[in-house]
Amino acid sequence: MRYLLRRTLHAVFLLFGVSLLTFLFSALTPGNYFDEMRLNPQIAPETVAALRAQYQLDRPLPVRYLHWLNAVAHGELGFSFAYNGPVGPLLWVRARNTLLLTMAATLIAWLLALPLGIWSAARFGRTLDRVLSWTTATLLVVPDLVLALGLLIVAVRTGWFPTGGMVSVGFEGLSSLQKFQDLAMHMVLPVFALALAALPTLVRHVRASVAEVLDAPFLRAARSHGIPDRKLLFGYALRAAANPLISLFGFSLGALLSGSLLVEVVMSWPGLGPLLLEAILARDLYVVIGGVLLSMIFLVGGNLFADVLLYWADPRIRIAASAK
Amino acid sequence: MKQGGKFTKWLVFLVFLHVVVAGAGFFAPYDPVEQDRERPYLPPMRVHWVDAQGHFHLRPFFYPLRLREGSFDQYEEGTDAAVPVHFFTSGARYHLLGNLPSRLHLFGGAGARIYLLGSDAYGRDQLSRILFGGQVSLLAGLLGAGVTLLLGALIGLAAGYYGGWRDDLLMRAAELFLALPWLYLLFALRAFLPLSVGPLEAFLLVVVVIGMVGWARPARLVRGVVLTVKERDFVRAARGFGASDIYLLRRHILPETASVLLTQAAILVPQFVVAEMTLSFLGLGVPEPMSSWGNLLATLQQYSVLVSYWWMYLPALAIVPFFLGYLGLASALQERFGAYKIDEKSGWSRT
Amino acid sequence: MEPLLKVENLVKRYAAGRSRASGHKFAALDGVSLSIAPQTTLALMGESGSGKSTLALCIACLERPTSGSISFEGIDVAALEETQLRVMRPQIQLVFQDPASSLNPRWSALDLVREPLFVQRRFRQPEREHKALELLDRVALPRKLAGRRADELSGGQKQRVAIARALALEPKLMLLDEALSALDCSVQAQISNLLVDLQSSLGLTYLFITHDFAMAAHLADQIAVMERGRIVESGPAEKILCAPSHDATRALLASTPRFTETPSVLVNA
Repeated sequence: MRYLLRRTLHAVFLLFGVSLLTFLFSALTPGNYFDEMRLNPQIAPETVAALRAQYQLDRPLPVRYLHWLNAVAHGELGFSFAYNGPVGPLLWVRARNTLLLTMAATLIAWLLALPLGIWSAARFGRTLDRVLSWTTATLLVVPDLVLALGLLIVAVRTGWFPTGGMVSVGFEGLSSLQKFQDLAMHMVLPVFALALAALPTLVRHVRASVAEVLDAPFLRAARSHGIPDRKLLFGYALRAAANPLISLFGFSLGALLSGSLLVEVVMSWPGLGPLLLEAILARDLYVVIGGVLLSMIFLVGGNLFADVLLYWADPRIRIAASAK
Repeated sequence: MKQGGKFTKWLVFLVFLHVVVAGAGFFAPYDPVEQDRERPYLPPMRVHWVDAQGHFHLRPFFYPLRLREGSFDQYEEGTDAAVPVHFFTSGARYHLLGNLPSRLHLFGGAGARIYLLGSDAYGRDQLSRILFGGQVSLLAGLLGAGVTLLLGALIGLAAGYYGGWRDDLLMRAAELFLALPWLYLLFALRAFLPLSVGPLEAFLLVVVVIGMVGWARPARLVRGVVLTVKERDFVRAARGFGASDIYLLRRHILPETASVLLTQAAILVPQFVVAEMTLSFLGLGVPEPMSSWGNLLATLQQYSVLVSYWWMYLPALAIVPFFLGYLGLASALQERFGAYKIDEKSGWSRT
Repeated sequence: MEPLLKVENLVKRYAAGRSRASGHKFAALDGVSLSIAPQTTLALMGESGSGKSTLALCIACLERPTSGSISFEGIDVAALEETQLRVMRPQIQLVFQDPASSLNPRWSALDLVREPLFVQRRFRQPEREHKALELLDRVALPRKLAGRRADELSGGQKQRVAIARALALEPKLMLLDEALSALDCSVQAQISNLLVDLQSSLGLTYLFITHDFAMAAHLADQIAVMERGRIVESGPAEKILCAPSHDATRALLASTPRFTETPSVLVNA
């Protein structure tokens, strides 16, 4: 239990750190934002003045930060100048879409990486293993951007998959099954792009972790006891490899979020990515801060989830924690 | 030595690639900003040795492209007027390495422009734009890596050598930076800096922003080296002669970090080039008319371009050989210096 | 005669595990006192973990003692600030046990011997090289090896370089922490003879840490035996060797291989 408490504290610390950083950045150039806003004909000067007062921009930095923290704690994430409304509702919708995309991509990536990595670790040197190494090596030297754009072009020229958006026009009128199909078809491209981008490093790490476990003395001893290979692999090796693999999941979340940001923009998936980009280009301060914060919550949440999983899966952690 | 062979092989490959990009003026047939409004979005031209009549020519040649009758975007070759390729011709003026003026180009067409990789909306030669764009993107990557390694080395040295609360603070900050998604950090940093600046300022801004994102991993690695080295007897012995901290850091500890820093450099440079490409592609990086691999791809955000003009994707592939070369070099270096084990924390970032 | 070095009640505690105030501290030195007369050799003996190396590090001012005093020529070096210490450092030099780690393997023998002169800003560049070569001659290292990297030299050659380096600043007190233990027997004999020669020609004082009684018999005027951070027996070498009074000493003596009964015969062999 103390272990989980410690990890939660760590997560909270991370969130604080991020919020502080983001706030600091934004505060470093306060003039810019509101100057540009004043020049913007769409925003009335009274609004600018009111906002300045509301966000107390003339007060010192720590006061502003606390004030902002207080507002966030009440669920108020600020005001969007571009959309002319509160930031919160804007974010939730997009966040939901991003979550859908990233969870699907993670699932697919791991569903592919685990068997490929395990299988390749269990038998070195066969021809298919070579093919696998070559494919992962190739994927490794192709950056996410290039991959996503490439897939997009292929899709556009073949017309097999819809290339943009989350649903087709007239989505409302479809039956439940058709809705599901439509969504799935739109998801194929972005999910595939994300999963492929993540795959090579994932496979490499799975392979390395499993190979390391397979070499361990305890496994060799088990084999000498006559335990069949398959049982060895699934019953013993995988459980021992669970720890590094779950940690890998936690650490891969950061790159996953970066990847999803890019893929969403390239493939026009209506998630947090395009919103964030738009907000940056439009200098929509609070959307940017809110969007970054929300993504960090996902990151931290995912890490906590991995920690819980680890606690449940690896008895050594339970024992170490209770010994303290 | 077999190990040395691998390293040299990759190094030669990389040097060759860099020479081609650095000498973009020479290797590119045209000036990248030279427009030809009459020939927008031409597809890549095919090189021929055998003409329409079936005669073989030693000197390769092209057929200029003409719009097909009654079509908007279908081109056909005009087989009546061949454009022979001349090597080492005189063409647009450029400055090699920014200093030496020259007019010599590797190849050029006599009489008409040769679009080896097609043209863009303004009729600019894509090949030339890719070569010159490479200069910007590669330079951004190299400089960014330099900034990051400098920052990381300083922080790692300070944290490892002085220890105590400084070490704790710096390593917590490193943890934070490592946990955060790199693109978000990049965005956050870039977002709060002025957006509409001139190309040179934008370039420098991009370099600084990229450089400040990736310091955490080099810092941790350097710190690890410092922690082991500072306890070595030869450092103690030097202290026994009255050597100052700075002396110890400079003459004994820093040289030990060289292997780590070199390997990190090989890994970071391509990643940073990709970072520049991503920023520029999204409009947050280097603006027009300066071309970089990133903003060359920006046109692909238009659906029409995506559908009809596939050659506009080619700038994206330019980075692949560089990635290959740098990663090959990195793995050769890791073998040579004794690979530090796969850091589980690297997750999906390609380290 | 005034002792060159006088250590009084030296205590050195390390915090084991997490450094908290209440943490379990471990006393490497638990009230050590000794003194060494000028131009003599004191052999410091004891089992591993008895605190010998810690004592050497403290005397060489590479570790700060928790309490106690270290008087060198009357000055308490343990209480000095680093800037004042820098002036004192040349007088007390330490030769480590393993020259493979006490010499930077990438540096040449010449650079290694030159280093202390450079750090203490003695002489100018060309003279430094001259001095360094002289020192290498003194430790009988062939000049042709001067340009070789340290990791290209043999164990004995490396230790000679280490000794030459320690001599560079003309110290009065040399601390030799098991300086011969990592060497082959024949090389040990050569280098210990070298040390004896240097002592008489340069007027050096030695604190010689060893676990080898034969070596102590050969070199020492006085012997001190340590156990668990304390000196349990000390006195003139012959007395300790022939008539040990503490269990620890007896245990150490018993573990040393002998071929005859009296130490003097060992020395002649």
